[in-house]
Amino acid sequence: MYSYDEFDERFVRERVAQFRDQVARRLDGSLTEEEFRPLRLMNGLYLQLHAYMLRIAIPYGSMNGRQMRMLGTIAEKWDRGYGHFTTRQNIQFNWPKLKDIPDILDALADVGMHAIQTSGNCIRNTTSDPFSGVATDEIEDPRATCELIRQWSSLHPEFTFLGRKFKIAVTGASSDRAAIRVHDIGIEIVKNEAGETGYRILVGGGLGRTPMIGKELRAFLPREELLPYLEACLRVYNMHGRRDNKYKARIKILVHELGIDTYREHVEAEYARIDRSNTAADMAEFARIAEQFAPPAYPELPEQSAIFERALKAHPDFAHWVEQNGFAHRVPGFMAVTVSLKPVGGAPGDATSEQLRVLAEAAEQYSMDELRITHEQNVVLPNVKKDELFALWTLLKSQGLDAPNKGLVTDIIACPGLDYCALATARSIPVAQEISKRFSDPARMADIGPLAIKISGCINACGHHHVGHIGILGLDKAGVESYQITLGGDPANDASLGERTGPGFSYDQVPGVIETLVETYLGLREPRETFLQTYRRVGMAPFKEALYADAA
Amino acid sequence: MARAFRPVVLTANDLVEGDVVWWTGAVWSRDVSDAEVFDTPEAAEAAEAALNTPEHAACTVGIVRVEVEMRDGAPFPTLRREQIRAERRPTFDYLPTSKVSEAA
Ligand code: HEM
Ligand code: SF4
Repeated sequence: MYSYDEFDERFVRERVAQFRDQVARRLDGSLTEEEFRPLRLMNGLYLQLHAYMLRIAIPYGSMNGRQMRMLGTIAEKWDRGYGHFTTRQNIQFNWPKLKDIPDILDALADVGMHAIQTSGNCIRNTTSDPFSGVATDEIEDPRATCELIRQWSSLHPEFTFLGRKFKIAVTGASSDRAAIRVHDIGIEIVKNEAGETGYRILVGGGLGRTPMIGKELRAFLPREELLPYLEACLRVYNMHGRRDNKYKARIKILVHELGIDTYREHVEAEYARIDRSNTAADMAEFARIAEQFAPPAYPELPEQSAIFERALKAHPDFAHWVEQNGFAHRVPGFMAVTVSLKPVGGAPGDATSEQLRVLAEAAEQYSMDELRITHEQNVVLPNVKKDELFALWTLLKSQGLDAPNKGLVTDIIACPGLDYCALATARSIPVAQEISKRFSDPARMADIGPLAIKISGCINACGHHHVGHIGILGLDKAGVESYQITLGGDPANDASLGERTGPGFSYDQVPGVIETLVETYLGLREPRETFLQTYRRVGMAPFKEALYADAA
Repeated sequence: MARAFRPVVLTANDLVEGDVVWWTGAVWSRDVSDAEVFDTPEAAEAAEAALNTPEHAACTVGIVRVEVEMRDGAPFPTLRREQIRAERRPTFDYLPTSKVSEAA
């Protein structure tokens, strides 16, 4: 795993010291809120409805046991005993006090973590595939590229004050598990005909008020050209992007207004002017980073494990969990598993300090000290020996971390919504909880099969509702919560945006509405067809009729 | 046509704790039912002006008006958002069991 060098270490420490001083000056009245607000946001500190919220970066979702344990300590010592993992592969603490923030940031720095680039109109945390390095369909571990981008973008003077925040995602696999098509820039590691590894670049994807699927800017970009090319992309955006209206200031609007071909011409023209003398140094740095992401020393194991096979037979619950949450590993005798943070009726993405500590222990003992946070608000243990899977499961079960529902109807993504968020127009977590309770029967869940429900508490779309197979958007209708339903969204290779069913529903109606949609699908599906496949085959009409027939 | 004025209270977040606070006319309280109710735009403006001092800016963040109605003789916000703020917690059981028992 990547560990910070002295430069990073010094930089983070200096930032904490600087912020400690700024907090002190705010507390003694020498800084006004207007002066202080941008400073706190640069350090990941928001003010929500009930309290401050600290957003901590987990670069490309990768962390080790020591870091996870520290999150548990922070939750226990300075918060209310839990944290919330987000769709941007970060973690948020919901109740810290202003005076404690510098101590929290120092504690994070002790384990090589920070809250920089988690807010503001900068290039945010570059996200990635949670199965990086272990997936069988991967060309290359994307995290080295993510880290290269992180180093380049951290504090890039030209790109620290963009028109709007800027999000990049990278995948190294043919199956897109990083939602690259709904990012400002999506990067796919590909090979060209000559067998060289480089990048396919997508641009202009995003969710929010104006959702868009990214378009291809370059089918193949040679590896050494990545940073200067990104620089050209960002510079064109910075020069031409709209700043008059914050809702129109994202790069997706520029690409949409210019058209992808015109945007490409601008980028290529700018690129021709850019100084590329640094690319050799970039590649030396890339080689250094890539070395740090070299695969761990996997012991040689047989693909089959007798212990594992016996446990599967003896413990149906375990077998069910492996079936649902397991993920094939490229190394024989190993498996990756998803630890679901979606127990029936729970708050999606929340983990208690005890759970955070157990996850740390699980990583250290059973996963070669690695953890990943997924954009589905779950945790992945990427490197588990089949021999030890049962022991791991037993440990996870002791803390209620054994929900066997990855990718199923109860694996719901939900943003904090009106229970926490100052921008919200409706609640989202309790909606998720009610739906989850309604579908709690494991046999029924399994029968329904893959179904991604995603809920946002306002148009900003932090809960990715546009790309939910069923999307739920909470709005405010004259002071009352109202929920708009979309169908057929998906963030993966065949990315699509959901289509609205029609008029919205009240808070109490939502679980019943989901039930109706699921029943309609079950009635229409062909053998082995998923909800999304059925929807794509039959279209909106039967679902719409099921929802609104009575009302008409 | 402008909407008829409805009674308001003044609210903010505490600078140090982040907690929701309500202006009682004398101090900042955690309890919305302690809040002083302003029945006219003039009264609300006067109170806002009085709070626009470095002293208040040094202990609160973002002083704003919130519409209320009277319930059992005490002010209660009309908007769902402000009702949730007034509860000082999310609407679902959000605390880990260990913390719930600690609090009990
Ligand atoms: C609670 C405090 C939060 C605030 C104030 C907040 C604010 C916002 C805003 C204003 C946007 C729209 C940005 C734009 O269109 O330029 C946005 C987008 C987004 N937020 Fe949040 N958010 C919060 C929490 C979260 C959480 C908890 C998650 C993950 C669960 C999240 C994930 C996202 C994502 C993925 C987008 C992307 C939408 C896009 O691509 O346009 N946010 N957020
Ligand atoms: S979608 Fe809206 S309500 Fe949900 S976290 Fe984002 S800003 Fe808040």
